[in-house]
Amino acid sequence: MKKFATAILAGVAMTMALSTVAEAAGKTIAVSWKTFQEERWKTDEAAIKAAVEAAGDSYISTDAQGSAQKQAADIEGLISQRPDVILVVAFDSDAILPSIKAISDAGIKSIAYDVQFEDPNALYITFDNIGVGRIMAEEILKVQPEGNYAFIKGDKGDPNATFLFQGMMEVLKPSLDSGKIKNVCETFTDGWKPDNAQRNMEQCLTSTDNKVDAVLSENDGMASGVVAALEAQGLAGTVPVTGQDGDKAAINRVALGTQTVSVWKNSTDLGKVAAEAAIALANGDDVSSIKGVAKFSGGKNGVEMDSILLAPTPITKDNIDVAIEAGHITKEEACAGVKAGSVPACG
Amino acid sequence: MSKESASTPAAAPTKPLLSRFLAATEIDTRMLGMVAALFAIWCAFDIYSGFLRPNTGLFGGAFLTPRNLWTLLVQTSSIAVMTTGMVLVIVMRHIDLSVGSMLSLVAVAGAVLQVFILGPAIGVGHPAIWIAAVAACLVLGTLIGAMNGFLTAYAQIPAFIVTLGGLIAYSGVAFLLASGVTIAPMDKTYKIIGGGVPESWLGPTWSWALAFVACALIILAVANGRRQRKRFGFQMRPVWAEAVLATIGSAAVLGTTAVLTSYPWPFGLIRQYAADNDVTIPEGVENVNGDAICMAADRIVRCTEGLIYYTGYAAPVLVALAVGAAMSFIATRTKFGRYVYAIGGNPEAAELAGINTKMMTVKVFALMGFLVGVSSIIASARLDAATNALGQLNELFVIASAVIGGTSLAGGIGTIYGALLGALMMQSIQSGMALLNLPAAFQNIVVGTVLVFAVFVDQLYRRRVK
Amino acid sequence: MATPLVEMRDISIAFGGIKAVDHASVEVYPGEVMGLLGHNGAGKSTLIKILSGAYRRDQGKIFVNGEEAHIENPRDAKDYGIETIYQTLALADNVDAAANLFLGREIMTGWGTLDDAAMEAKAREVMGRLNPNFRRFKEPVKSLSGGQRQSVAIARAILFEARILIMDEPTAALGPQETAQVGELIKQLKADGIGIFLISHDIHDVFDLADRVCVMKNGQVVGTAKTTDVTKDEVLGMIILGKCPPGAVPGPGAMAAAA
Repeated sequence: MKKFATAILAGVAMTMALSTVAEAAGKTIAVSWKTFQEERWKTDEAAIKAAVEAAGDSYISTDAQGSAQKQAADIEGLISQRPDVILVVAFDSDAILPSIKAISDAGIKSIAYDVQFEDPNALYITFDNIGVGRIMAEEILKVQPEGNYAFIKGDKGDPNATFLFQGMMEVLKPSLDSGKIKNVCETFTDGWKPDNAQRNMEQCLTSTDNKVDAVLSENDGMASGVVAALEAQGLAGTVPVTGQDGDKAAINRVALGTQTVSVWKNSTDLGKVAAEAAIALANGDDVSSIKGVAKFSGGKNGVEMDSILLAPTPITKDNIDVAIEAGHITKEEACAGVKAGSVPACG
Repeated sequence: MSKESASTPAAAPTKPLLSRFLAATEIDTRMLGMVAALFAIWCAFDIYSGFLRPNTGLFGGAFLTPRNLWTLLVQTSSIAVMTTGMVLVIVMRHIDLSVGSMLSLVAVAGAVLQVFILGPAIGVGHPAIWIAAVAACLVLGTLIGAMNGFLTAYAQIPAFIVTLGGLIAYSGVAFLLASGVTIAPMDKTYKIIGGGVPESWLGPTWSWALAFVACALIILAVANGRRQRKRFGFQMRPVWAEAVLATIGSAAVLGTTAVLTSYPWPFGLIRQYAADNDVTIPEGVENVNGDAICMAADRIVRCTEGLIYYTGYAAPVLVALAVGAAMSFIATRTKFGRYVYAIGGNPEAAELAGINTKMMTVKVFALMGFLVGVSSIIASARLDAATNALGQLNELFVIASAVIGGTSLAGGIGTIYGALLGALMMQSIQSGMALLNLPAAFQNIVVGTVLVFAVFVDQLYRRRVK
Repeated sequence: MATPLVEMRDISIAFGGIKAVDHASVEVYPGEVMGLLGHNGAGKSTLIKILSGAYRRDQGKIFVNGEEAHIENPRDAKDYGIETIYQTLALADNVDAAANLFLGREIMTGWGTLDDAAMEAKAREVMGRLNPNFRRFKEPVKSLSGGQRQSVAIARAILFEARILIMDEPTAALGPQETAQVGELIKQLKADGIGIFLISHDIHDVFDLADRVCVMKNGQVVGTAKTTDVTKDEVLGMIILGKCPPGAVPGPGAMAAAA
């Protein structure tokens, strides 16, 4: 009993301490994260925290640990601490809506960070996802404007797999229609798993007798399986392969020449842009005055909302230095096994 | 004294020829059924794929081609290795749900060791790297397996729970170990185990040498069995039946070898090899459908008569075959195997016969873990990368292969060769449908249906045999 | 009299506070059949499982040929020549007769592998003595009849030249003809100088075969008597009421009035 009372006291003391800090350091920016199980969110957090603290404001956050229920409770807790802006990485974009309304009702601004939820009062900041597919297709058309194309798509249950494919098709449609390029294999890959992608690619090569001129793999993990399958047929390096995520191993493959492009969504950039937008909102600026804001209504229900869509960076042999300079990968990691003089960034 | 004991002469002469043949040769009819089903599936895939896009297969498709069969065996290797261990686990009335996650963990650990730790420390490509990585995978797998076994046997937590916990936990450890990133590329020598580079192909000469050794061993085994029975004056199989058995076994080995040695190296690799080793390329006439390479007017082209190499057995297939042979030996010819089956038949009886059943549980799980270590090496070497996604859900395919191969989940019954056939069947279906470019969702439906149907047929078979 | 072949002295064991066996003592001499009688749950099977190493006693000592024996598990017991035929038969159903006979004591070849042919040969020899009609050596014992399974269980016990044989309800699963055969077998083993514990809850099974009987009730020994000194009715009184007749040596479980 005594212990319990102490705990309550400690809790009260901590809450008081927090609120004092908040008042002392100007504005408070809060983030409700959906999970830290995936590596990238730590990068996002570091970027946001750095930008917020650099502006002399304070940063508070919660981790929903992959639970929609916990996230709702987290947001209630954040509201009670009266921050100026709450960024939300929604675990479930529908289940989160009542919490977002609660944020608005409390007079707090909300930002949908990377994951969309359709609330007209929120600002949506993310990478242009359909654009990723578009960039992949553009990059591959540059090096292989005609021939047999294979499409290694992601998991059938993930809408992103279809968005990416749509983006690719926007670019490739004219060439497909004119017969310059031909779709010879198109498969979904269970769980985005590289070993499944490898098997699908092997079977694609068998069924076409190696007559594949380009492979559009929807991410870097699957690209590793695709490249392994091509390598076993002596085709690695001659058949262009796409990917996305900027995996370290993929950037290395780009340097080695076995992968053509890895479309990289720089989380540091996203975090920085979001933090700056949040600070502007906290200072009472109007949404429309923030740089890059445009209307977006491409969501599931077509709700129109303000948004900032960042363009992802295609990493090719020629601009690997961008990822190195951003601190995303070291030169040693990117250039392991690369022949001297073959890649600019590797010297 | 009792009626049934008197009524078991081998085969009455009035029975039809086929059953007399089966009785005399003592062939497992269940296995015969599986082989027939497998061939039926293969033919169906070949016919259907030929219908979509004509190729050089037996029925004009792409499935029954040396290339596809060669690939199929390579694709099966990793699962096949684990399946042999799963048979013993299931025979002992346990289950191991953690093999897929364990594979991720072990593969990632092996990759971290060779790429992040040893590579920078002693230089990429150092010969100690692959040896250390292989040893680390085997030891780590064995230890994790032993831990599963220890918790099951001594802490008396059901294996289902222990390994369900492992299924969830080990993938988490794998994630943390590599912070979720893909680790690549693997060591050059380590990669040979995966079967994706010419160094891992045995070539026709050694493949045939190996095949003849295998045939000699088969004949020796048949002869030895006969000698043993003679030694104690037991009733023997007719000589013709022994000859048939030896012939079937040898024909299977030679046939497989013939198929595998007729798959030529991919065109690009022949050219690369010729360039790297200063091999003279003969003059020839261009033929874009040829498998060989020729010089035609100072240009390297594809042709039918020219420089050509054939693959033969690939390293992962050899590993899987060796594991299959070793596990069959362990299961049927050693005390350890005998105890596994006895414990599966009646754990109490085994305990009362003085068998340390707890220690046996630890050993069987440790063996399973060791085999997961072997599989993790094959899988990561083959992919030339390791990620925490590698191996996920493999437990389902491993268990399904064992069950399709005739292993009873009630314990006590199961064979290694059956499980290997089961693994080959599962992989055939998946690869065949990928070849036909069927949607992944459809593949899942078919694989699931086949699993349930196979067990249903098995039940019918067992009831009839009884 | 000579030294007992085996003597269990002052044995106790408890499961979760319940005394299954309470200060029980019993012994058997070479060539003697000792019948252990009592209701189900009287503690006779538990007492005998302590001797065969399946359970570890809480208290008491075991002597084999007058020397203290250390029996911690079934293997130890077998090392002292103590073999057991369990009530539940304890066969591995999925393997054949030879594998069951040699379970835990397989014959190995020079290569360290199982010598199945040698085991089958030995099995044929032993089974030939017990049950000359038995031919189904290649089939799992699951497919055998009750009598055939029983002969496998008995064969396993005598295969390794047991000196002390424990038979727990050996005829429970058998028909009259097979029961008679087991009786013959016991006489034969007795003639070989083997000491036998015969356990049953049915007095008729035991009385004709046993030289002495020991009756247990509620984990305690009621009394021990030569079958020539007591009548069946008196033994029934011991089993049911715990009343020790004049012809018997009373144990700690005998009714106070009778003592």
